[in-house]
Amino acid sequence: MAESFSSPGIDLPSPTLSARLGELAVFLAAPTAGRLTEEQRALSLGIARRLVAAVADELDPGIDGDALWRDWLAAGVPAAERLTTVCFARAEEHRWREYSAQRVTTPIPLEGVEEEAPVASDIPSDIDRAYLALQIADRRRFDSYGNPCVAPADVDTGLFRALLLDIAAWRLARVAKDGKLAADLGEAVRAATEGRDAGAGIDRAAKAYHDLLAGQGKLADAATAAITRHDWVTVIALSAVAARRPYVDTALALLSAEAAVLPFLLAPLKLDRAALAPLEASLALLPGRAVSGGAGDG
Amino acid sequence: MGERIIHGRIDRSGALVSADAPLLRLQQRAGAGIGKPLALPHLARLVALAQRLQRDISRPLYAADDHSDIHALVRVLPDEEGANLEISDWRASAVTVPQMPPVAETAVRPRSWSWECDQQLRVVALREGRDAPPIPEDWEACSLSELFELQPDEEGGFPVLRALARQSSFEGQRVRADGSGDARVAMVLTGEPLFDATGRFTGFRGTAIVEEPTQSEPNHVPNGGALVDPAFGSLPLSDPQFGRRIDGALRGPLSRIIATAETISGQFDGPIRADYARYAGDIAHAGRHLLGLVDDLADLQNIERPGFKAAADEIDLGDLARRAVGLLGMKAEEKGIRIDAPRTDDKMPATGEFRRVLQVLLNLLGNAIRYSPENSQIWIRVDREGDRAKITVADQGQGISSEQQAVVFEKFERLGRTDSGGSGLGLYIARRLARAMDGDLAVESAPGQGARFTLSLPARDVD
Repeated sequence: MAESFSSPGIDLPSPTLSARLGELAVFLAAPTAGRLTEEQRALSLGIARRLVAAVADELDPGIDGDALWRDWLAAGVPAAERLTTVCFARAEEHRWREYSAQRVTTPIPLEGVEEEAPVASDIPSDIDRAYLALQIADRRRFDSYGNPCVAPADVDTGLFRALLLDIAAWRLARVAKDGKLAADLGEAVRAATEGRDAGAGIDRAAKAYHDLLAGQGKLADAATAAITRHDWVTVIALSAVAARRPYVDTALALLSAEAAVLPFLLAPLKLDRAALAPLEASLALLPGRAVSGGAGDG
Repeated sequence: MGERIIHGRIDRSGALVSADAPLLRLQQRAGAGIGKPLALPHLARLVALAQRLQRDISRPLYAADDHSDIHALVRVLPDEEGANLEISDWRASAVTVPQMPPVAETAVRPRSWSWECDQQLRVVALREGRDAPPIPEDWEACSLSELFELQPDEEGGFPVLRALARQSSFEGQRVRADGSGDARVAMVLTGEPLFDATGRFTGFRGTAIVEEPTQSEPNHVPNGGALVDPAFGSLPLSDPQFGRRIDGALRGPLSRIIATAETISGQFDGPIRADYARYAGDIAHAGRHLLGLVDDLADLQNIERPGFKAAADEIDLGDLARRAVGLLGMKAEEKGIRIDAPRTDDKMPATGEFRRVLQVLLNLLGNAIRYSPENSQIWIRVDREGDRAKITVADQGQGISSEQQAVVFEKFERLGRTDSGGSGLGLYIARRLARAMDGDLAVESAPGQGARFTLSLPARDVD
């Protein structure tokens, strides 16, 4: 890629110039493609910042996350390429859910009802508990203020380890050469990587829920109901497991799919074509979607 | 910056039509601008909520852009043409996240947890904000009432349970939760109902804000709710610590029993056998009875204090009677009892402490409802005799013999009744209160003829 925007014989004097030329080259390569909106950029960057801070916290709670992010923004985020997909997918999913939630009309509160709870209609089943676990795994993908984030448990081992190593390198450079600290950091990286329960996050919860539904022949019904309820987390989770893909990839695939492609993406769920209508409508109403040809921009 | 108010205006379609610079900047950073729909989802939701409820709402606002998290307090004032926004305490914290060491300016932020539960009140999210006490471990999927020890409000109810029944928002639900170490921390829960696209209620989302401690009521209390020494029984009633110790030693555990029993009875964690649900309902009922007894004992301790004196408010016994009927009318309706209360223009000016007179009337009317047969009638009449203003509550119950009348105002006297209806302190307290207001409480009755309780107070002349 570098060759495409560095003129032969010219030494680029600054990373800024390099970035501008790179941006222009990307633009020229696809002039009609929709660009990132400020909202998408802000959300993705916020998610990246929170993920970096969370991983740094796992490495060493004493790390100054503010300074780390400041330095990385100035010099360029080391794992930028690997972070991009996961952060953008999370940002787009968040945007979709937020815009979708805005269109839900809230029922008028029931008046004159006594202080008495409704009676649950079904015995809590394994399916019910698995759905609860999926909800919990999903809510772990928000910080304490409700901002979207990526839980370290949802990050693949390669990216997690790369982030740990980059953060450890930054830490070591910041405190100058210190043999003991280097050894301690190395040990911390090893412990954090080994102690990590890879895939413990939403992918595992999704698989447990999917498998129970599939085992009882209720998968299509559950997915249809989730689409009707605009429960997009469940839709993504079930279709991800059904297609044997990670949640993050499925989210991105759905969010960037044209309407005609949706039936193919969701084919493993064996849904009725009509059941997809609310999903198509909801995606169509999401502005700035990265669909082919920029059709989603709007 | 903290004192400045940032204004904005939203039109009926949800578009931002005017905004002060910081709000406009945020709108622009989110890819929109003036005349465009509000591009800040959290704020847009608050505006929609205020417009739907058609009332002012004030909430914390959280927004984020690429290099900062923004926290502010927003007030949304809806009107027919849209809504006005007033945003105060705007704070942008650059590149910080809650896990990072707090910086000085954040110390004034409310210390809170955010939480979310499903429609069965099972907790699906619990996150601690900056400076908040650490969240308990093992919160996942536990019941909201298990995580938070619900405290009843002044009417003995629980806002969260009311909101659950009505699928509406709630605020002011006082709770206690596990804090650091052995301490329990007092918090206040607020919550908004969540609905899916089919309009089905899916749970609540809200915050738990640490109550700021006051001198008389520290927000950290020792574990289990026992303030000092549960052996409060060794204290004489005149000990000024008594009431407070009752509160600590009994009110907390009782509230927990009631809340847990109501959770079981309401089958929030899933259905159980109907008879077990009824037992739990009985436990909750008995718990409320005991809580009432605690209230009575605290009252008793208060009014038996040397020098106890009620305030001399200008009151209208007719108005107070109607208020009492308003509060207990539902209970009467449940038994098909009709209450013949003074008409709106029936006034009887008197002197007495407003809330104490209401307390006495609630006691008299509550007893009348409790001991009246179904589909009977209760009369409340106001009258004046010389310098005495009188109010009489009469029922068609089984009546009280002359021997019983001699003891009915005694402490812990329940006339041989063994049901869970009362503590046996209500009438004793009522008469003590009447006398503390230079009045009296008397009874006339005969077996089979119902009972007539008359509260008399100093009459007040009105020009």
